[in-house]
Amino acid sequence: MTLKLHATPEEVMRAVEALQQFGQARQIPEKALFGLTLALEECASNIVNHALRRDARQMFRVTLEHTGSAMVIELRDHGPAFDPTQAPVPEMEAGGDDQPPGGWGIQLVRRYTDEMRHTREGEENILRLTKRLVQATSHK
Amino acid sequence: MPLEILILKTVGDKTLGAVTVKLTGSLDTATAPELERQLAPVLAGQTKHLVFDLAQLKFISSAGLRVFSMARKQLKERGGQASFVNMQPQIQEVFEIMKSLPGVAIFKDMAELDAYLAARQRAHQENQ
Repeated sequence: MTLKLHATPEEVMRAVEALQQFGQARQIPEKALFGLTLALEECASNIVNHALRRDARQMFRVTLEHTGSAMVIELRDHGPAFDPTQAPVPEMEAGGDDQPPGGWGIQLVRRYTDEMRHTREGEENILRLTKRLVQATSHK
Repeated sequence: MPLEILILKTVGDKTLGAVTVKLTGSLDTATAPELERQLAPVLAGQTKHLVFDLAQLKFISSAGLRVFSMARKQLKERGGQASFVNMQPQIQEVFEIMKSLPGVAIFKDMAELDAYLAARQRAHQENQ
């Protein structure tokens, strides 16, 4: 399933709702689906806010795939080359209270997915998020 | 999923009075700006303590966490704090992850919160 989306926060949430329906229809466990939903929201927001600078005329694409043993989300945009998997882990600083929270989103994506892979094909960023599903359908 | 915001002021308790903010739905990239807008007048006043009641909050992303962080920072500057209560397990887990990250102090205040709420409870009982 592929969605073509405008670079707005509302379109990010349209993708999130599509993922929720997609996951529920395939009986993806609730916990895994919550994590995937959060990962998609963070990555798509990054594309909208940074790569495409909230220019609603710009489009990006989200593909949802269920392989049985895994869920894969692929995001494609034509923004400047950017590999979020290389984003630095926030470091503890002296009095590190209230640091600028820019890196939080990517940290959440790391925790909630099993694999995050970025490639650049031509003018396109391709980010693939994978969540392995252990006995996804044999439970309850 | 939209976000419903309900801001309740506690009355009649000068020392321990707080503003409770009940959030229902999804605090995300699309809804976080509205929360920020509605909190602005509260934060511009004298309020020292904000209690976010998250019983009906189903989803949160870093966009929402940023609003909490901003509110907490402003309250802290005037000797107050932001507290978070009634979190659903999936929201609690996001908070736990944030707590485990170096340099993120915002959600480490749970113990302080317990002490604060206990004090409010005592004050309430003594007034009766």
